[in-house]
Amino acid sequence: MKHRVGQPDSFARLCLARERLRASERVPLALVAREARLSTGELIRRFTALFGETPHQYRVRERLDRAKRLLAGGERSVTDICMDVGFSSVGSFSAWFARRAGLAPSAYRLRAKVRACMPASSAESLVAGCLSLLAGALAHPNYRGRNFEEASSGVLQAQSRATHPAEIA
Amino acid sequence: MKIALNSIMVDDQSKALAFYTGVLGFVKQHDVPVGEYRWITVVSPEAPEGAALSLEPNANPAGKTFQEALFAQKIPATAFEVADVDAEFRRLKARGVVFTREPMQAGPVKIAVFADTCGNLIQIYQPPR
Repeated sequence: MKHRVGQPDSFARLCLARERLRASERVPLALVAREARLSTGELIRRFTALFGETPHQYRVRERLDRAKRLLAGGERSVTDICMDVGFSSVGSFSAWFARRAGLAPSAYRLRAKVRACMPASSAESLVAGCLSLLAGALAHPNYRGRNFEEASSGVLQAQSRATHPAEIA
Repeated sequence: MKIALNSIMVDDQSKALAFYTGVLGFVKQHDVPVGEYRWITVVSPEAPEGAALSLEPNANPAGKTFQEALFAQKIPATAFEVADVDAEFRRLKARGVVFTREPMQAGPVKIAVFADTCGNLIQIYQPPR
């Protein structure tokens, strides 16, 4: 990891590429690669090894997360949010969002609103951090107490898998 | 009072579960849907009764900013103990894991640092025998 002072090393350049991909929806990947002093193929390979997803997958996920956050916030119109995340038509935004989130933007917003009104919930648990999920997990019928023998023998995994078939892929 | 649980913020829970179990070799303990996210914990097969690690969704923008800054500064988010840093380095490297610090002696301990593909750097350390 040797590098001259003022010259970002390749790790730093990959971190910068990630910022660049998030900040600007439309900047071509080839340009991001050039700025990182890598070929496009090399950028994709190294980015994926470091961040666990391709630059394109990263961009899509970031965009979706941002749309979800804005929708759950409930202050701005769907049209406004659609423009914010880089779509020019509400129709294409809605179709894109529904394909990835499993429900339409308006339905997503409604669900977030309902959750925020539930007694055990709060603004904090909407953001889901700081172990706030634990309370929800403990209340869930699928939650099983810690059984280390099961955990280590893999029985628990098999049971969990049965309840979440989607994650096997 | 005891410390039985620690958490690490991850940018994507499915991706994290795949890496922490499939690549690192931890065992899934809980995976329960909670609203938009899941409550996921993993334990080490070497110490299944030891502390569990919760793979927390990094949905809070403030947390995300912190995580990215830490990562860019090459600061590990947490550390796991291993019996042999060199052996772990070889094992993980062969599985495509990116190391930002190859095994090195740091005083009495030997350490290495790798990326968990979920936005964190993880330090592994080998205590003196």
